[in-house]
Amino acid sequence: MAFLAPLFLVGLAAIAVPIIVHLIQRERKTVVEFPSLMFLRQIPYQSVERRRIHNWPLLLLRAAAMALLVAAFSRPFFKVDPLQAAPATSGAREVLILLDRSASMGYGDHFAKAKSEAKKIVETIRGDDKATLILFGTGAEEVVRGSADRGRLSAAIDAAKVSSDGTRYAPVLRLAQSKLSQSTLPRKEAYLITDFQKSGWERQEEIHLPQGATLTPVSVASPGVSDLSVTSVAFQRTSFSGEERVTITAGLTNRSPTAVTSLPVKLEIDGRVVDTRPVTIEPNASGSVTFAQVTAAVPGMRGTVRAGTDNLARNNEFHFALSPSRPVSVLIIQADGAAPESSYFITTVLSIGASPPFKTEVVPASRVTAASFERRSVVVLNDATALSTQTTDLLKRFVEQGGGLFISLKDRTPWTGPEMPLMPGTPGAPVDRLGGGGGTLGYLDYSHPIFDEFKDPRNGNFSGVRFFRYRALTPAATDRVLARFDDGGAAMVERALGSGRIIAFTSPVDASWNSFPRAHLFLPLVHETMRYLAQYEEPEAWYTVGRMLDISVPIAAMVREGTAGDAQPTVRKATGVVMAPGGEQVALGDGGRNSVELLEQGFYSVRLQGMGERRPFQVAVNLDPAESDLSALPPAEFVNTATGRVAAPIVGGDLEHPELTPADIEKKQSLWWFLFVAGAAALLAEAILANRLSKRFGFGLLQTSKT
Amino acid sequence: METHLIPGARFVDPKVLARIKDLELLARYVVDGFINGLHRAPYFGASIDFAEHRGYVPGDDIRRVDWRLYARTDKYYVKQYEADTNANFVALVDVSKSMAFASQGVSKLQYASFLAACLAYLSHRQRDRVGIVTFDEDVVTHVPASAKHFNVLLHTLDRSVPQRPGRLLTVLDKLAEHFKRRSIVALISDLYENPTDLLESLKPYRFLGNDLIVFHILDPAEIEFPYTEASRFQDLESGEELPIVPEVFADQYRQMMKEHIEALTTKCSDSRIDYVQLTTSKPLDEALFSYLGNRERLMRIR
Repeated sequence: MAFLAPLFLVGLAAIAVPIIVHLIQRERKTVVEFPSLMFLRQIPYQSVERRRIHNWPLLLLRAAAMALLVAAFSRPFFKVDPLQAAPATSGAREVLILLDRSASMGYGDHFAKAKSEAKKIVETIRGDDKATLILFGTGAEEVVRGSADRGRLSAAIDAAKVSSDGTRYAPVLRLAQSKLSQSTLPRKEAYLITDFQKSGWERQEEIHLPQGATLTPVSVASPGVSDLSVTSVAFQRTSFSGEERVTITAGLTNRSPTAVTSLPVKLEIDGRVVDTRPVTIEPNASGSVTFAQVTAAVPGMRGTVRAGTDNLARNNEFHFALSPSRPVSVLIIQADGAAPESSYFITTVLSIGASPPFKTEVVPASRVTAASFERRSVVVLNDATALSTQTTDLLKRFVEQGGGLFISLKDRTPWTGPEMPLMPGTPGAPVDRLGGGGGTLGYLDYSHPIFDEFKDPRNGNFSGVRFFRYRALTPAATDRVLARFDDGGAAMVERALGSGRIIAFTSPVDASWNSFPRAHLFLPLVHETMRYLAQYEEPEAWYTVGRMLDISVPIAAMVREGTAGDAQPTVRKATGVVMAPGGEQVALGDGGRNSVELLEQGFYSVRLQGMGERRPFQVAVNLDPAESDLSALPPAEFVNTATGRVAAPIVGGDLEHPELTPADIEKKQSLWWFLFVAGAAALLAEAILANRLSKRFGFGLLQTSKT
Repeated sequence: METHLIPGARFVDPKVLARIKDLELLARYVVDGFINGLHRAPYFGASIDFAEHRGYVPGDDIRRVDWRLYARTDKYYVKQYEADTNANFVALVDVSKSMAFASQGVSKLQYASFLAACLAYLSHRQRDRVGIVTFDEDVVTHVPASAKHFNVLLHTLDRSVPQRPGRLLTVLDKLAEHFKRRSIVALISDLYENPTDLLESLKPYRFLGNDLIVFHILDPAEIEFPYTEASRFQDLESGEELPIVPEVFADQYRQMMKEHIEALTTKCSDSRIDYVQLTTSKPLDEALFSYLGNRERLMRIR
């Protein structure tokens, strides 16, 4: 047994405190007035002079509490047999080579140095040793497992390349912990070869290596790194002569002690330099550069901003995908001979707003042709009379391919089941609600996306909207009722068909049967409904390495752009191919994967079956911005933080083993914590016992003999 | 629900009575309630009861002639009634500092005042003369017995403040000489004296033909000694302090107090002195009963 802070043992003298306190304790000062002490005076009084300790358990409890607390502060620990505690110096070794291949290792010759250090470690491998090569970025990969074959290990090191990955130390250290724990070899050694990026370490992730195992940091970080990176781009869109013009602004960060002066920054669109602007950025500062306008003519244009080159060239370029922001195209089909104002409200509200913008076209039912559905995202049937079989088929196919259909029912909506298979439910006769000021909406499914904005009561109350007449609608079992009137009748019903969505509203949108179009909630609800039916999502111009790309993203883009057409008859069963920047191809969709992890910097091209000659969908992928932050942790501090041990950093071949210090052992055993808890418990018990005794005797531990 | 000795008697908790500032009102409230409660009691009724007949002599009030008896006997008889004669009632009230003790809201002096006021009122109703002596280490106030002194008695009680320590025996010896006329003497005190000595001081009162009732007023805390925490106890009269450990002292104290009360009871009984021990938590009916029982014995005069 030894103590880390033996001076605290002086505090053991405090044990005498309870005894002294007891010995000098006087009676309580409270005075009780009593009519006469005539009788009390006659009772033999016990002298306070001849004190003796009356309650030994209480005294011992107090002394024990003191002793435990003092012992806790002196930080005791059991000495460990050096032969057990120290790393073994003979016998076979389990060697883990943890080699960082994150993007930041591409800085200068960092990765070359790292590989060189790894090879030095490989050179120490002997016949009975087992060496494992683990390459890591955000995750860890065992490249060579438990081998003493130095040639194989060296070859694997030579083959290792810097990835676009970010840096995270916790996964690789946990893997090392697991492997060293499982190892039966007497000597367990792990070598962490990295640039010790600060951003890769979360301090709460503590690793517990097994007893006797060593973690040796091998730093390849360079002092005084300097780096310029392009961190983002922003678009400002304007319309000009029917075309969309985009102003692109790039953000840059200069992480170096010297200023960047008049550096030419290039904007490339589809591989062609369209503009070059000089930029000047102060040391350790950020700046931006705005390029001349470019025309966003077609979807899926590849854009790249390049800002010179430096030691870490990969973050000097920034990729993005540029597409024209197509408005959501809505086709409104109304009954032949219907008054022009019957679609007035819905066209008006759809003409307002820019995120997304809507484009509407109103056509009578008899004039609908196959061409009418081209490049449409949503079709609105506004009290339309019966459509022809051909039109119904076209409409059905449109929905199955991912289009949206909004049906507004009125008295002219004649369809029943077989006649209109797209109707979510069976329409019935109109219901009059003229009495009592009309009906209201009694139920809204706030879990549905179109009502999500209205969850908060401050965002609108539908109870003020009056419905004087509506068409009865009996939904099918598979249909989802989104809203009901106060009498229980269905107000909005949704049905999914293929990749598309259908919503039926049982009252017209022309203010003839209800006051809804005049209500302030009409515009947001119509917008939300159309966004939902169009499956509209804000397109992302770029992703970062490590994110997943889902097949729904390119499909949604096709629907948004109205390019789904008939080329992809069942988009839900879409198939396609993703081509990574490195040329690797991955099957996507039906029969393949539904999502792809974006591991490389550059452009991923997604080509869905049936897209024909159209441009493939482009996904721009950039490095994790944290990889551009090259500030490093001191290796010793890192190892100390991560494992609670002290280790000497190794730069350039010093492979000595660190030894456990008393502080190490004490921290690992943490006996002080148990002593502290025991002391606190003793104090608590003392308080309870003393309180009880105090109430009974008042004089604490002391009792006297009768005089 | 607290039960009373007599059904229907409305005796109120002393703590409630303590809120009544006007002693006369208090006495009237208590005594009237008490009398109403006694309404059907077998041995007390109206103050004038029929006793016997005697022959009519000239000068007798013809209204007192029993005409029914005359009808039967053809002789004039006059109805003779038991009647109270005027007696003296003197309350000796201890106002020493120990009487200021109150553990439950009503001090012993307050209780003694209520009791004295009630007894005086009762006597006053019976057309007795009432007087009072308050004392501590000496006589503080002496109001001689008089039919007109009821209000003075109440004022005296009202003004009584415990200020000095008591010296009961000295005062009793001194006062004994004042009661020349046959009186009802009610001693109201906490009686912190040796019982033997006390009885020696009380005996002269009996020799003089007085009827003596000793009301021993104690606070419940003086009997039960409910203290638990060790503290310094201060004598209210002398100011002397003693460190007391209740757990050790309580049993002995209770035993001594019990023996004290028993000694007083026995010795008073031996000396034909009525002794009533009262605690300040008890209603006043017990005291009134004792008093009236004594008065009946004393005042049965034809």
